[in-house]
Amino acid sequence: MHKYIILFLCINILSFSAIGQSNCVLEGMVVDQNNQVLPGASLMLYPIKKGGVSDRNGKFEISDLPKDTYVIEISFIGYNTLVDTLIINKNTSYNAQLTVSNLSLSEVLITDNYAEQRKREEALSIEIVSDDDLKKNLGGSLMNSLERLPGVTTINIGSGQSKPVIRGLGFNRVVVVENNIKHEAQQWGSDHGLEIDQYAVDNIEVIKGPASLMYGSDAIGGVINMKNSKLPASDTFGGLVDLTGKSNNELLGTSVSLYGRKGKFFANARATYIDYGDYKVPVDSVDIYSYRAPLYKNHLRNTAGYEKNLHVSLGIAQDGFISKFYVSSVNSKSGFFANAHGLEPRNVDTDLHDKSNRDINYPYQKVNHFKLINTTQYEWKKLKFDLDLGFQRNFRQEWSQYVSHGYMPAVFPDTLAFHSDLEREFEKFVYSGNFKISYQLNEKTEMFFGVNSEFHDNQIDGRGFIIPAYEQFTLGGFALVRNNFSEKSSIQFGIRYDYGQIETTEYQDWFPSPVDENQPTNLQYLLRAENIDRNFSNLSWSLGYTYNAENWSFKANVGKSFRMPIAKELAANGVNYHRFSYEVGNADLSPEKSYQFDAGLEYQSKKLTVGISPFINYFSNYIYLNPTSEHDRLYGNGNQVYYYTESEVIRYGGEIHAYYDLLENIQLGLMGEYVYSEQLSGEKKGFTLPFSPPASAIFSAKYHKSKLGLIKDFYFSVDYRLTASQNEIVPPEKTTDGYQLIKLGLGGNIEMGKQKVNISMQVHNLLNTKYFNHTSFYRLINVPEPGRNFIINISIPFSGYF
Amino acid sequence: MPKLKLKLLKNKKLKARQGYFYLPAFFIFIDMKRKNILVLLASFMLFASACSDDSEVDSIKPTIDIGFTNAFPNNCDTIYFGESFQLKLRFSDNAELGSYSIDIHNNFDHHSHSTEVSECDLGPVKEPVNPYVLIDDYSIPQGLKAYETNLTISVPATNEGVLLDEGDYHFYISLTDSEGWSVQKGLSIKMLHR
Repeated sequence: MHKYIILFLCINILSFSAIGQSNCVLEGMVVDQNNQVLPGASLMLYPIKKGGVSDRNGKFEISDLPKDTYVIEISFIGYNTLVDTLIINKNTSYNAQLTVSNLSLSEVLITDNYAEQRKREEALSIEIVSDDDLKKNLGGSLMNSLERLPGVTTINIGSGQSKPVIRGLGFNRVVVVENNIKHEAQQWGSDHGLEIDQYAVDNIEVIKGPASLMYGSDAIGGVINMKNSKLPASDTFGGLVDLTGKSNNELLGTSVSLYGRKGKFFANARATYIDYGDYKVPVDSVDIYSYRAPLYKNHLRNTAGYEKNLHVSLGIAQDGFISKFYVSSVNSKSGFFANAHGLEPRNVDTDLHDKSNRDINYPYQKVNHFKLINTTQYEWKKLKFDLDLGFQRNFRQEWSQYVSHGYMPAVFPDTLAFHSDLEREFEKFVYSGNFKISYQLNEKTEMFFGVNSEFHDNQIDGRGFIIPAYEQFTLGGFALVRNNFSEKSSIQFGIRYDYGQIETTEYQDWFPSPVDENQPTNLQYLLRAENIDRNFSNLSWSLGYTYNAENWSFKANVGKSFRMPIAKELAANGVNYHRFSYEVGNADLSPEKSYQFDAGLEYQSKKLTVGISPFINYFSNYIYLNPTSEHDRLYGNGNQVYYYTESEVIRYGGEIHAYYDLLENIQLGLMGEYVYSEQLSGEKKGFTLPFSPPASAIFSAKYHKSKLGLIKDFYFSVDYRLTASQNEIVPPEKTTDGYQLIKLGLGGNIEMGKQKVNISMQVHNLLNTKYFNHTSFYRLINVPEPGRNFIINISIPFSGYF
Repeated sequence: MPKLKLKLLKNKKLKARQGYFYLPAFFIFIDMKRKNILVLLASFMLFASACSDDSEVDSIKPTIDIGFTNAFPNNCDTIYFGESFQLKLRFSDNAELGSYSIDIHNNFDHHSHSTEVSECDLGPVKEPVNPYVLIDDYSIPQGLKAYETNLTISVPATNEGVLLDEGDYHFYISLTDSEGWSVQKGLSIKMLHR
């Protein structure tokens, strides 16, 4: 703990002035065995316990040292710690060379120091999760693994699909970034999961609050930034084999990665395969309206699936220059609960569906996400350049048995270009580019300038219409200044301008409908969406302040963010099969604007950490799908009509966290979150927003020991989650009761000879409690959450030298 | 400090909301530093359990009643082609009813299940040739909390001169209230030529 504070102070000491002529300065550089600089190495001088960190050029400087003999300790995770004796009687220069230690790749680079430092620097509220944490908290999907973070929840469908929600905002209001490029898919769909391989993520940074400034439109609710930043040490190779099993849906997963670096060049490859069966719920039947659908052996029928992913990255790293190519293909297929596709009770062929709990029948979704990304960094004197280029293709198909509805022909004609059972298909091509310049103006001031641009080309196919084909172009530029105006305080201000254009393509039905109810023979092919061409522009800004004293840290940020309306909001005109609502867009919507004030206050002492991060947020026009009292006549089966509308919204809430070291090996923790939302205008004035997460808290106790018998870094943890009921609802939601869950975790590293094996085990929902998740897509049809689930993850690292 | 935070809650209605209980409790805790973590835990229990709903918005769904004498159709009823029938349903809502819609489509492939508990005997699965379809939406006079439909629906016997398919059909009713709450009922019916 004190280390961090000292570390932090030392960064500020870099802006030293030579006080006390009799004292000396120690300066130098830290490099690896190939003379590559090592930024972020920590230094400590004993016995005075004065230290510092190497800067991004590997340089360090410790001033104000009385003439004496010192022991210097230089450490960097992944490298052997260097200890040396120094006699300092004048200003001294000292260069250190560290050698690689025989550790697994997963331990390199992402350190607590980094997380702690980043959190203190950033004026917005952020959370950082390392891959170790991810393994210890492995959930049904990557986003489920993050749910333990205060302020982060998910919208789920089934066991493997989930979307991130930050402080109650999700879908297109949260940006997901992988390898510096915005992940772009069909994020608007509540049943669409996130096409990211959870094994391929090294660390995740979650920004809670509007971050349009750096990430542009869509970052209005927050950012999930996944980094793959690990760089192998020079002339090493290695790999990691991960094996995962889950009892509830009989999941088996494996991911194998290999890496190597020879001189300047490095490469990394990974293959992942996950296969799971139907998940089990602690009930025998599900009540869909008043129809009771019986379940076979507690299996939620047809929720099995698989995932097959491949990744390759290649790169070059040399003095001040690093460039990396990253290619990935993420493929998944997963079934939907067969009795309720479209939230209409459906008869199923139980002989077919219950034959095996591992097969995937109709209805199901199949997604391929391909990415090609290049990220390049170049440093030249006080300038640093970052260039990221990305290409993505998202190909999604939703299949279900052809059922004519509306005026679709009873028998599917064989003259059409698409298959009768192809409900929907989306093919989206996304081209992205980011360019950023960082400039160290002086010791106290850093400046950033950047440009981001994206082009989307979205094509549609299949029998059902919901969103049109479209092309979208966005371009934004920003400038940000950060000034450490005193040892403890820093201020940052940023401004950004965005321009966006969207052009949607008209869509005509493939079947005729009687447009006039009095003349049933007057049949016409309906035009469901017209050509729309809209331009948007916006100025956003952000002002932040951070203060870090010895035990206290405080941060505050105020800013304006925005979001361009998406194609679905502008031009939807069709049935949402998953909700059986008829959704209608509004071509006149303006960009969503949001103003937010965030604060964070934390107290840290040796044994105790307590923090609170409240926020208040105002939307002048929140875009919202409003269920009306109208019914549609021409599609579906006379569905209720939902229109996209805008309303003023106020939201506030916050998170708290507290950790207390009860004994040397026992840590108690508490994390809590709460969000309140209310619409201040429009037809739903007084109502909350859809999918509002209920208040919840986790009480945790963790026992850890650096060595217990044969096990190193042993831990045993108990999480008790208490979630309040959610009575703040908006049509068509249902109130959801509160619940209590117990989760156990156990793990550590076992060393067998030279081979290390990391084991993490978990039991979710220990008491097999039947509960409903208010933000689950299946909540509306009374499908409870998965029952008891044993999860085990085994990681076997290996490494060597060339 | 806690008072300052609470001042944000200008709106009277919001004062009772559970989330803000934790703010004062939290600062008490800081004052005591690490003396007693139980204070915090206990106050948090309060926060999580004190979640009474005091909202003033309408959160009650309308209802469709088919359980009275003369109600039509009921699950497993028969409707005849070439004749008309009286739709007899009772709708009610705590505030104000919105509108309703009717959808009749074939269920020859048994894809639909009624929302009712009772099961009906379904005929064998068959291919539709010339099935009957009816989709229509109907308004309810404004300001009503209860409404009984009195609608005559005439069903043709033929479509473009060809007899309509007999067999299992699905009769789907959707009702909304003025706030946008909705309720659905799906009935299994037979449609036959007399």
